Amino acid sequence: MAERYGGGGGSSNDPADILAGVMSVLQKRARGLGPIVVALILVVLALTGFYQVEPGEIAVLRTLGRETSRSEPGLHFRIPVVQTVDTVNTSEVRRIEVGFRGDENRPAEAQMITGDGNMVEAHMTVQYRVADPSKYLFRLADPEEVLRSASEVALRSVIGRTTIDDAITRGRGDVQQDTLETLQRLMDAYQSGISVSEVKLQSVDPPAEVKDAFHDVVRAREEKEKLINQARGYQEDVIPRARGEAERTIREAEGYKEQRMLMAKGDAHKFSSVHTEYQKAQKVTRRRMYLETMERVLGKVEQKTIVDGALAGSTVPILALGGPAGAARAVAATNGAAP
Amino acid sequence: MNRFTWIVLIAVGIWIGLDSFYVVQEGEQGIITKFGEYRYSFTDPGLKWKSPFADTVHRMQKRILTSDVPPAEYQTLDKNKLVADPVTRWRIVDPITFFKKVRDVSGAKARLDDIVNSELRRKIASHDFSDIIGGERDPLMDSVAQSARQQVKLFGIQLVDVRIKRADLSQEVEESVFQRMRAERDRIAKRYRSEGEEEAAKIRADTDKLKAILLAQAYEKAQELRGEGDAQSITIYANAYNKDPEFYSFTRTLEAYERGIDPKTHLVLSTSNDLLKFMASDD
Repeated sequence: MAERYGGGGGSSNDPADILAGVMSVLQKRARGLGPIVVALILVVLALTGFYQVEPGEIAVLRTLGRETSRSEPGLHFRIPVVQTVDTVNTSEVRRIEVGFRGDENRPAEAQMITGDGNMVEAHMTVQYRVADPSKYLFRLADPEEVLRSASEVALRSVIGRTTIDDAITRGRGDVQQDTLETLQRLMDAYQSGISVSEVKLQSVDPPAEVKDAFHDVVRAREEKEKLINQARGYQEDVIPRARGEAERTIREAEGYKEQRMLMAKGDAHKFSSVHTEYQKAQKVTRRRMYLETMERVLGKVEQKTIVDGALAGSTVPILALGGPAGAARAVAATNGAAP
Repeated sequence: MNRFTWIVLIAVGIWIGLDSFYVVQEGEQGIITKFGEYRYSFTDPGLKWKSPFADTVHRMQKRILTSDVPPAEYQTLDKNKLVADPVTRWRIVDPITFFKKVRDVSGAKARLDDIVNSELRRKIASHDFSDIIGGERDPLMDSVAQSARQQVKLFGIQLVDVRIKRADLSQEVEESVFQRMRAERDRIAKRYRSEGEEEAAKIRADTDKLKAILLAQAYEKAQELRGEGDAQSITIYANAYNKDPEFYSFTRTLEAYERGIDPKTHLVLSTSNDLLKFMASDD
């Protein structure tokens, strides 16, 4: 059957084995059974020449050590001893873990220094596949192990250029992208034949020793948001009310203005109407208005004192008007009575 | 000759035949020596001929190899201690030189590691810690590789690159870094909290300001409207009453009497009053 990669090169055509085979053939031939045995051995050898390539695999065929062809999935034949086959799965996406294995954390591997001199614990997975089987098989010793250490190199190099805040929050996508590019560049330089399809940061956390301090920052940020939201709430509450109040003030003033004008117009109309009629018979109307008004006024008043006009000039009328206040009022009335 | 002799002859013939060629695999190279003396190198894969028995094949790797030294402590220019784990990729490019100078891979690794380590020590000692960790890392490692490359050339080795796999702080430095990190986080947390207060105060102040302005604007507008109302009513009154100021005065006075004199008023009237003049005489 075909020899898988990594199994060491070139043991199937060891001269000593072949020689032993030939010797035994010769011995058997001497006993007369030779032709049958030789034929049998040839058939068995021919049968071992068939090999199968599974879907997704590519077989690299070496003839006398030199790479001569590749074969796609299916049943193929090689010349035993002379040709060697290595099959490589080129479609399977493989995965390695950096900084952890399964559920287990690997602190020494995960802990690294950021560009601003802080430390983080990063867990990363790398997905890759074999893109060039020839390079993968013949150009680089132990490509898988190289990929592992190159992944660490790439991630540490990128984190080393990133600040802790970027690494933990915003810049995560950038770190992934840069790591992928750096890693691929390294793997190309090593002629690994490996194509890195994805670099994914599972987590980038501060080390356990300082976790509390980082959580406090998160809390502080939330508190900040809360304070701001409360203030916004105050704003949302106050401003519409103030607008309403302002609107009310203006409406009231508009009402006042309208009211004043209408009242003035009303008064003016009344005056105009009365004046028009008054002009037709000025003297008698004026007298009538005066008398009618006085009649109404005097009719209302409950306490009235009438003093003879002849007395007014010579004698001070002494009246019991119920106290000095009443007297003052009476004097005022007397003096101001003339129309 | 008997049959046995034939068999021996054929066997020897085959043996010689088989020993006069060798197969070089992909990813292999090597040299041929004749009784210990170097004859030639081979680097291409395939079937090759050699002198049987006299020539010996020494195979070696043509693939890129790795040398991963255990981590060691280095001192930086600013006297920080750094635990670095360099990893070196290299390959054999001159099989005979390689064979003469270091013989095999493990010998090569020992020499290579010494050279890389001393170059790394030298370069790290001339750089600050932050440079080695940060942006200067790749150029630094390139220059380490460059210097080491010249030296390992003498061993028939081509150095592909040198990278720092891990660069960690020594234990005692680590604790001080953690302390600094905690202090920095405290500072950031405080900043967030006071920023929150600041923002909130700003928003509240803005709100109060806006409210005051809104109300004042409304007051301004309202007073203007009221003034307009008063002014227009004055005009209307004036226009109307100007037709006959004397009559206005008369009617308005009468109105004032009616409003101003209530039932409780005590009126003292003289008969010389115009209204009562007929009480004194009928003139």
